[in-house]
Amino acid sequence: MAPENFSYQDTIGIASFLGRGFMNPVDVRLDSTGMMFVLSRSNAGNKNVRISAVTLDSEFQYEFANWGTEPGQTTMPTAIAFDSQDRVYVPDEHMNNISVFERDGTFVKRWGELGSEPGQFNRPSGLVIDSEDNVLVMDHLNARVQKLSPDGDYISSFGSEGNGPGEFNFAWGISLDSDDGIWIADWRNDRVQRFTANGEFVSTIGSTGTGDGEFDRPSGVHVDDSGQVYIADWRNNRVQVFNNDGGHIETLTGDATLSKWCQEFVDVNPEQAGWRENAGLFEEEKRFWRPSAIETNSDGLVLIADACRHRIQIYSKVPEPALT
Amino acid sequence: MTTVSNRQSTDVALMAHLLRRAGFGATRNEIDEYLKKGYEAVVEELLYPDHGEMEDQDLVDRYFIASVEARSAGHADPQWAWRLATSPKPLEEKISLFWHGLMAVGGVKLDHGLEMLTEIELFRQFGLGRFEDLLLEISRNPGMMYWLDNQNSHKGAPNENYGRELLELFAMGIDESGEGAYTEDDVKAAARAFTGWASKVTPPPFFLGPFPMEFQFDPEDHDDSEKTFLGQTGNWNGDDIVRMICGHRAAAHFVALRLYDYFVSDTPNEAEIERLTDVFQANDGEIRSVLREIFNSDHFKSEEVRFKKMKSPSDLVFGTTRLVDRFEIPESDSGNLANNTMFMGQHLMNPPSVEGWHEGEEWVDSGALIERINFASTEVSRLDARGVQEMLERVQSAGDELNSEAFVDACLDGLGAIDASARTKSILIDHADRYGTPWEREAPDAIERTIEMFQLIVSTPDYQYC
Repeated sequence: MAPENFSYQDTIGIASFLGRGFMNPVDVRLDSTGMMFVLSRSNAGNKNVRISAVTLDSEFQYEFANWGTEPGQTTMPTAIAFDSQDRVYVPDEHMNNISVFERDGTFVKRWGELGSEPGQFNRPSGLVIDSEDNVLVMDHLNARVQKLSPDGDYISSFGSEGNGPGEFNFAWGISLDSDDGIWIADWRNDRVQRFTANGEFVSTIGSTGTGDGEFDRPSGVHVDDSGQVYIADWRNNRVQVFNNDGGHIETLTGDATLSKWCQEFVDVNPEQAGWRENAGLFEEEKRFWRPSAIETNSDGLVLIADACRHRIQIYSKVPEPALT
Repeated sequence: MTTVSNRQSTDVALMAHLLRRAGFGATRNEIDEYLKKGYEAVVEELLYPDHGEMEDQDLVDRYFIASVEARSAGHADPQWAWRLATSPKPLEEKISLFWHGLMAVGGVKLDHGLEMLTEIELFRQFGLGRFEDLLLEISRNPGMMYWLDNQNSHKGAPNENYGRELLELFAMGIDESGEGAYTEDDVKAAARAFTGWASKVTPPPFFLGPFPMEFQFDPEDHDDSEKTFLGQTGNWNGDDIVRMICGHRAAAHFVALRLYDYFVSDTPNEAEIERLTDVFQANDGEIRSVLREIFNSDHFKSEEVRFKKMKSPSDLVFGTTRLVDRFEIPESDSGNLANNTMFMGQHLMNPPSVEGWHEGEEWVDSGALIERINFASTEVSRLDARGVQEMLERVQSAGDELNSEAFVDACLDGLGAIDASARTKSILIDHADRYGTPWEREAPDAIERTIEMFQLIVSTPDYQYC
């Protein structure tokens, strides 16, 4: 069934171990110029991790943050975020640090180490940057959100382990609304928690399940300019959309068409195109498989990282009908 | 006269033996916990694993996202490795490994990790039940159909590959002269009965990753004419073939032989195998019943078979990993564990051929032995691992001051109540004697000496056996 409040626009991506394409994209962000940056996670052992810069009309530009433990490399990266200067911040849950790059991929610095003291990390997962360029990190095995300066100096933190208000269980994604309010995908508690900019608990969306407003390991959360909340319902293979008060609006399950890159692949590989035709799984091809993160822009575009199908599915918000 | 202390020691050794064979070994503390339940109760617990997803399946998926949509066996490694290294249902994994080696499907041809994991799950689900049910399931497994070319087996033009391997390698076997309890005509009849059984075409994985494989039966492509198989004539289909195979004593003997070989000894004992064959037939071919008979038998419990079976690379790697107990949740290293078995000659989900692996002494050559020793000695020296700390505590609790023999005994006990030959033990004691002083719990070098002895023990030939 076609979505009511969104229209499917396009898909960008193809499975690729390096270069043009992605390998298990777990995060997607737009910089201030509208360039799309996609974080390929893969398995650490398969060494296909990287950040790819791609235009929204499917032109691959360059990649960086490839696999490794040296400065400028990543091993188990979890997220990407831009500061006001379009510098890219990347947490790594194997090395327990944050790497910073210029938007052209030039390595700038990295900071952080394993531990539970202020400024240390135990598997940083989600990361977001506030209006003052402070860095908020979901330090997930320490069950806390840490607020740090751009150089990694500790400012404050909140959260503890558990399933009560303000408590976390393997939390993953983090997002800020227009007031710097903090939203956390509390992954193993199957809920999203909302906090003020100071870390005071406000409310919760969701519980365990498969119905509307229920989740099975929500990985990513994103709040758009209008306050609409998008949640990647990871193991239910869908994205649920809520209003700012937690009211369910819509569920997206994926509408992908063949991306430009996939179409080119099929066109030059007639034998494999034949397999695809004979299999006839065209409906299955459309669906999300472990969608992990969501990004939006001020034009109403919604980008969804479809991790196990190696692509970004793009929707646009359908404008509300004009009053008559 | 048997003293209480001797009886306890015997019980510990026996429980450790059971857990090494029915699983991948156990820590000394785990052995104590099992002892509280009693030997036969533990056998029953092992035989009835609560089948289902592991509690931390979500974590494996999260940290190894490429293993969720595993495009190759290599991408799937973190999934099975985690269960082999940590599952609280060790026999479920051990029997899966057994069937994986017997009904081998490999990534060298079936380049589809997702399907490989589906097949391992099939072995978990059906591996302890009736052999007939397992054979029926594997005969509908799309990966197996693809692996043995059954999608190319058509009415009027059967491909004999699946029918032949079903009889020769999976269910009835041949003797050293190449003779089986079946004829070439039986192979041809089986192949005709399986025509029309195939895997459905899936899209290529090269641009969107893999899609789950599905079994497909095409009645138009199935030869439903009369066939004679194992002396019986009828319009047999694949299910009929499986049923007739499983009713044959040769199948019962074949399975009993392979189970004996895997769980008891690399040297066949025909009297025991005949006894197990009877048990198989008396219990409708239920694997669980045969294993119960094995584990509770005097033969299995005897000194004759203990520490006489060469550890497979999986026994060595996952047994040692469980012993040192260093993974609380999945991490990058746990995803690479399967690489270690590969370096030792056992590439999981990628056996060398449909014959699986040649087990026993063939596992070890000079290169593999070095890999084994390096892996085990590195693992037991990890002071940050919970299991290593437990092992140290075990030695420390043996006494304030231990002479060399007592120190070696305490270390062997700490490593999961393992044993060593008199010659090996003598060498270990000689090494301990080199310090010139007894081991003292409070001495500055106590931990260093203990870790060194752990490393020495896992480097001995004795540690290569279970």
